[in-house]
Amino acid sequence: MGALAAAIAVGLSALGAGLGNGMIVSRTVEGISRQPELRGALQTTMFIGVALVEAIPIIAVVIAFMVM
Amino acid sequence: MNAYNRMVIRQRKWMLYILAIAVLGWGFTEYTQIFQSLMLGLAGGFYNLFLMQKKIDLLGERVSKNEKAQSLGMISRFAVAALIAVISLRFPDQFNIYVSVMGLMTPYLVIMIDFIFYLKDTSTSTTKRGE
Repeated sequence: MGALAAAIAVGLSALGAGLGNGMIVSRTVEGISRQPELRGALQTTMFIGVALVEAIPIIAVVIAFMVM
Repeated sequence: MNAYNRMVIRQRKWMLYILAIAVLGWGFTEYTQIFQSLMLGLAGGFYNLFLMQKKIDLLGERVSKNEKAQSLGMISRFAVAALIAVISLRFPDQFNIYVSVMGLMTPYLVIMIDFIFYLKDTSTSTTKRGE
């Protein structure tokens, strides 16, 4: 049962992070391809977005290993 | 040097400062278990931060040259978090899991505080309001 709980925790959080990251990266790629001179600023915004999105799944991975 | 590279250098600098504080705490105080857990977590977190900065820089470079971009390396970062959790849970006498997780989450705190302080640097608009 613990393994199932861990799998659900990691799987659902990774699903959310994947969707979030996909949205962030697609918009950034679109922006950089339109205006390559703004690459630095767009990358910075993307970096902060990716970091915020990925903080929760990383905690979920740790919690999953604690549950197991 | 663009805004991204400046931000990368700032964040690495602050992470090294925090890591140095953890090492000093480990060496000079009695709370060795707490500080070595913090060092373990910070090492993993710093590696995660480094990997994320490198991958995003690589992606931007590829996109600006109209080449095919690689992945962002999310699985590697999850694996580092899992490794830190496993080490902390396997050796409970040496490492405290809660402090290790705090160390693992420190780069995200550094990123948020850095973003708040240098909000102007990340602005994408080239003209100021009223111009």
